[in-house]
Amino acid sequence: MRDGLYYSREHEWVKLEGKLARVGVTDYAQKKLGDIVYVEPPEVGKRVSQVKEKKTKDMELGAVESIKAVSIVYSPLSGSVKEVNSALQDRPELVNTSPYDEGWICLLEPSDPEAELKNLMDASKYAEFIKSLK
Amino acid sequence: MMANYRQARWAGDALLEPLIFELGKPGRVGYTLPPKLHEQLRIPKNLLREKLEIPELSEVEVVRHYTRLSQMNYGVDSGIYPLGSCTMKYNPKVCEELASLEEAAYIHPYQIEDTAQGALELMYRLERCLAEVAGVDRVCLHPSAGAHGEFVAMLLTRAYHKFKGDGNRTQVIVPDSAHGTNPASASMAGYEVVTVPSDARGRVDLKALETAVSERTAALMLTNPNTLGLFEDEILKIAEIVHGVGGLLFYDGANLNGILGKARPGDMGFDIVHFNIHKTFATPHGGGGPGAGPVGVKGKLEKFLPVPVVEFDEKRKRYYLDYDRPHSIGKVKAFYGNFGVLVKAYAYILLMGAEGLAEVSEAAVLNANYIMRKLSGTKGYELKFDSSGPCKHEVVFSVEPLKRETGIGAKDVAKRLLDYGMHAPTYYFPPIVPEALMIEPTESEPREELDRFVGALKVIADEARRSPDKLRSAPTATAVGRLDEVKASREPILRWKMYHKHRA
Amino acid sequence: MGHPYIPNTREVRGQMLKEIGVASVDELFTDISAKIRLRHKLKLPGPMSELEVKRHVRAILARNRPFTQILSFLGGGVWPHHIPAHVRELVRRSEFLTSYTPYQPEASQGMLQALFEYQSMICELTGMDAANASMYDWATSLGEAALMCARVTGRRKFIVPALINPERFSTLQNYVSGPGLELIKIGYDSRTGQLDVSQLRKELGQDVAGVYVENPSYLGFLETHVDKVAKAAHEAGALFVVGVNPISLGLLRAPGDYGADIVIGEGQPLGNPVSFGGPLLGIFACRDEVKLVRQMPGRLIGMTTALDGRTRGYVMVLQTREQHIRRERATSSICSNEALCGVAAAIYLASLGPRGLRELGEACAASANYAMRKLRAIKDLKVPIFDAPHFNEFTLNCDDVGMSVAKLNAELLKRDIHGGKPLRGEFPELGETSLMCVTELHTKEDIDRLASALAEIAG
Repeated sequence: MRDGLYYSREHEWVKLEGKLARVGVTDYAQKKLGDIVYVEPPEVGKRVSQVKEKKTKDMELGAVESIKAVSIVYSPLSGSVKEVNSALQDRPELVNTSPYDEGWICLLEPSDPEAELKNLMDASKYAEFIKSLK
Repeated sequence: MMANYRQARWAGDALLEPLIFELGKPGRVGYTLPPKLHEQLRIPKNLLREKLEIPELSEVEVVRHYTRLSQMNYGVDSGIYPLGSCTMKYNPKVCEELASLEEAAYIHPYQIEDTAQGALELMYRLERCLAEVAGVDRVCLHPSAGAHGEFVAMLLTRAYHKFKGDGNRTQVIVPDSAHGTNPASASMAGYEVVTVPSDARGRVDLKALETAVSERTAALMLTNPNTLGLFEDEILKIAEIVHGVGGLLFYDGANLNGILGKARPGDMGFDIVHFNIHKTFATPHGGGGPGAGPVGVKGKLEKFLPVPVVEFDEKRKRYYLDYDRPHSIGKVKAFYGNFGVLVKAYAYILLMGAEGLAEVSEAAVLNANYIMRKLSGTKGYELKFDSSGPCKHEVVFSVEPLKRETGIGAKDVAKRLLDYGMHAPTYYFPPIVPEALMIEPTESEPREELDRFVGALKVIADEARRSPDKLRSAPTATAVGRLDEVKASREPILRWKMYHKHRA
Repeated sequence: MGHPYIPNTREVRGQMLKEIGVASVDELFTDISAKIRLRHKLKLPGPMSELEVKRHVRAILARNRPFTQILSFLGGGVWPHHIPAHVRELVRRSEFLTSYTPYQPEASQGMLQALFEYQSMICELTGMDAANASMYDWATSLGEAALMCARVTGRRKFIVPALINPERFSTLQNYVSGPGLELIKIGYDSRTGQLDVSQLRKELGQDVAGVYVENPSYLGFLETHVDKVAKAAHEAGALFVVGVNPISLGLLRAPGDYGADIVIGEGQPLGNPVSFGGPLLGIFACRDEVKLVRQMPGRLIGMTTALDGRTRGYVMVLQTREQHIRRERATSSICSNEALCGVAAAIYLASLGPRGLRELGEACAASANYAMRKLRAIKDLKVPIFDAPHFNEFTLNCDDVGMSVAKLNAELLKRDIHGGKPLRGEFPELGETSLMCVTELHTKEDIDRLASALAEIAG
C-alpha cells in the first residue's frame, strides 16, 4: 500500500488532490483479481455515495474484470465523477502494473471529504485489515 | 500409471487446422442445385447485395476440414467426462436414429393437426412420463434449455402471485451454492435476488432461510441434491418455511440423476420442477446445445402455462394444440419446444423404464460415492463439507491442501487430467468451496474407469510435489496447450475479419 | 444381466459397495427421509429393448405426414430447405455431438473453431462485426435484443412493426416484462405493407431504446425504406434492430449495410431440419462497439494463441458478461444454447459459398414469383395482398372466393397438398389470408399442381 492515501474495506484507495479526489483499486485487489482484461468506467457526472456495509447501486464506480471474475468498484467518498482514466480502455493491465499511479480509475469531486474520511482507513490500518483477511 | 494419451493435432505452419476462410479457391462449390426457374425477381437493385465474402470450397474440403476439427474434440464417446451437475452420460444411438426419421424431422409445426398426430402424441406421452418422474401435474415442453426453463418458471411464479393479487412479491431466494443461471434467470424476470448461505453441513442454512423469507418472497430456487452433491435432507422443513410465507418452491432439475426413482421433487413440496433433458434424459449435449428444459407444475399453476398445451380429446380420440388458455403467460419461444430433442428423451425413457431409471440413480450415486471413498484420505484433496453421510450422484473435493503444499491448485490438476485422456471435472465451482473439483461420473462409467480416474488424481498429486512445472505446463497431449485467455479477452478477436485486421 | 448403458452389473456394484464399506445401495439413500422416499415403482412404460423401442416410436411417428409425402407450402418462422447429406453426417460425428460447453478449450478446439467459423460467417451474412455462438431461436433473440437496447441506452421503450410475427411478439412481451419495458407497435401502409415511417418518427422520442423491423417481413414482403428507418432511429438516439431469415441474405443486402446495430434471426434453414419447430438456432450479432459487444448475451468464441505466443487457438471470451460469473447481474441467463445447430449452419454455409447462397436465394425468389404469378391469375384470389417485392413467402387472400382459408386448406389436403398458414386469427384486418412459402424444394410441377388445385377449388 501507499502512504498518504485512504482505503476502503472494499479495497479502493483515494488520494485527495486539492478540490478533487483520485480513486483506484489497491495492490491487494489487483493481485486477487488476476490479469485485468477490462475496466468498465463510471459515467462522468454520476453522483455517488460513500460505500457502506449495505451496498446500493449509487455507491458504484463501474467495475474491474479479469477473465474469471468481476469486481464492482465502490466509491470511497460521496461526490460526483469528474473524469475517468481513458488510458485504461486500451491498456487495462495498468491496473495490475501500476494500481496507485497510471492505473487510477477516476477523479471525483467529493462533496464532504472531511466528514467522510474518518470512515476510511489509513495505510497502516489497511495493512492490518489485509492481514486479518488472510 | 502413464499419461499415454494423444489427441489428434492437425497443424500446418505451426498453426492448427486452418480456418475455413483460409481454405478453398474461387470457383469451388460444395453444393449443387437443380436449375432455377426463369422468372423475374422483381426486387429493386438497391435491395440486392453486391458481394458476400464467405469461402468457396468443394464438398471434399468441407468434409475433411470438419472431420479434422472433430478429431480435435473430446466427447462422452471419447472417454470419461465427469463435469459436475452436467450429467455427461452415454447418449444411446437408437435415439439419434429415431429423431432423424423423416416422420420426425420433416414435419412442420403449422401442419393441420390431423397430419401431425404422431408428433402431438409423442409430446403428450413424454409429458405424462416427465410428470410421473417428478411428481407434478402438467409439464410444459417449450423451453430450449435449463436456463430457459428457469426463466419460464420465474414468469409462472410472477403470474401466480399476480393472479392472487399479491403484487408485493419482489424477491427470489437462491442458495450461495446455486448455479449462476438461477439468480440470472430470476433477475431477468425482474426479481431481486436474495442469497442464503450454506451451513457447515453444506446444506441451506435453515436459520438464515427463516430470516430471509418474508411476505416479499416470491419463490425459493433449489437444486436437490445441491451442487455439492448433497441431498437437502431438511427439504420438508424448507418447504414449510417457504410455503409458510406464501412463496413457491422451484426445483432446479440439473441434479435429478441423483434421485431418479428414489424420490420425486413434487413429493418434497416443490411447486415448479424443471428438467434438463440433455442431462438426466441422455440426449446429447452437442457441444453446448441443443438441449431442452421442460417445466413441470402442480395444478395450481397449470392455468399460467405457455401456449399451446398438447391435449387429448377423449371424444374424438385425437391430440390437439390448446391455445384457449386465458391465463397463460403466452409464448416463451416460437412453436412448441425442441421436438428433435424430445423424441430422443422419450425413446430413452422407453429404453430404461421405471426399473432402469431407478437403476440409473443407484449406479450413478454408487459411482460418485465410490470416488468419494477412494479419494478421501488422499493427501492434497479434502472434502470441505459433511463427509459422514453419503453423497449423491456427484462429489466436490477441494484441492486447497495441495495448493498450500505445492502451489498447484484445481485448475492445474484439471489440465493435467487431460493428458491422461480424461476430461476434467468442473473446477472453481461451486464458489463456496475453494479450489473446487466438482466430480459427476454418471452411471455410464465402468468401475475400471473410476479406478483409473482416482488413480490419475493420486498420481497428479504426487507430480505436484515432485515436478510442479509439469502440471503448470499441462496439458501437452491435447491438440493445443494452454491458451492465453487473458489476451483473448483483452483484445477480443471474434471473427475472421478482425483477425485479418489484427494481423495487418 | 447387465444393461447396455450401465456397465457396472449388479454383481460389480455389490463388490464396489463392499470395497467402500457400505452394506447395500439403500444405505446411500438414507439421507432421503422415509416420508418422501418412493416405495413404489414409477408408472412408466418400458423397459423395452432397442428393437421394441424402434417399433413403438415408429408406430407413433407413422401418424405424421411429413412434407416429403404431402406437398407443403408452409413457412412462417421455420422453413424447409435441402440439407446436403454431408452436413448431416458431419454434425452427427460423436466428437461434436457428445461433447459439452468447451470449458477445457485445449481438448475442445474442434467445437471452438467450428463455432468461431459460424460467428465469422454470420457476420459476413449480416454485415455485423460480432456474432455470438447462438441463442435459442429468433423469438428469444428478439427478447434479448430488446433487453440489450434498454441496457445500452438506458431507455425504456421498444418499437416493433404491427405486422410482427405474433409468436415473436408474445415472446418479446415476456422478455421485457422483467424490467417492465414498454412495447409500441407501428402501423403499415395497407397497400404496400411497408412500415409507416411517418408514424415511426412521431413515436421516436428521447425514451426509445430500439426500433425493430423484420426484413423480409413475417408476411414475406421486403421493407424497402429501411435506410429511412435506420436514420430516424439513430437521430433519436435509438438502436436499430433487424430480424432476418438468413437464407435471404445470399441475395439481399446485409442489414449492416443499411444501418443495423443489432441483427437477429432464425438460423434453422441453414442446414437444420424443420423438426416440428425445434431445435432452432437464434442468430444474434452486433456492430463492433465496446458498449454493444460487452452487452451482448450468449457465448462468444475468440481467437488467441497458446502460451507460446504462436500457435493459434480458440477460447470462450468475455465470459464476465455471462451468468456463471455475473450471476444476477449477467447480460442473460443463457448457458446451453443451440451450438450444434450453429455448427451445422457453418458447414452448410461453407458448402454453399457465396455463389451457392446467391443461387439458392434466386431459386427461392424465382419460384415464389412464379407461384405468385400463376396464383394471381386464378379468379378471385389476391396474390400477394401487398404491392411490394417479396422474397420466398407471400400472402394469398381468398375473401372473394367466399371460402375461409381453413376450408380452402381442407380441400387442398384432400389433394395431398398442404396450404399456407391461416392468418385471420393473428391479423383479422387481413380477412381470409394465408401465408405461403416456396423454396428450392418446390419444382415447377409442384407449383403448377398447386395452381390447378386452387383453380379447381376456387372455381
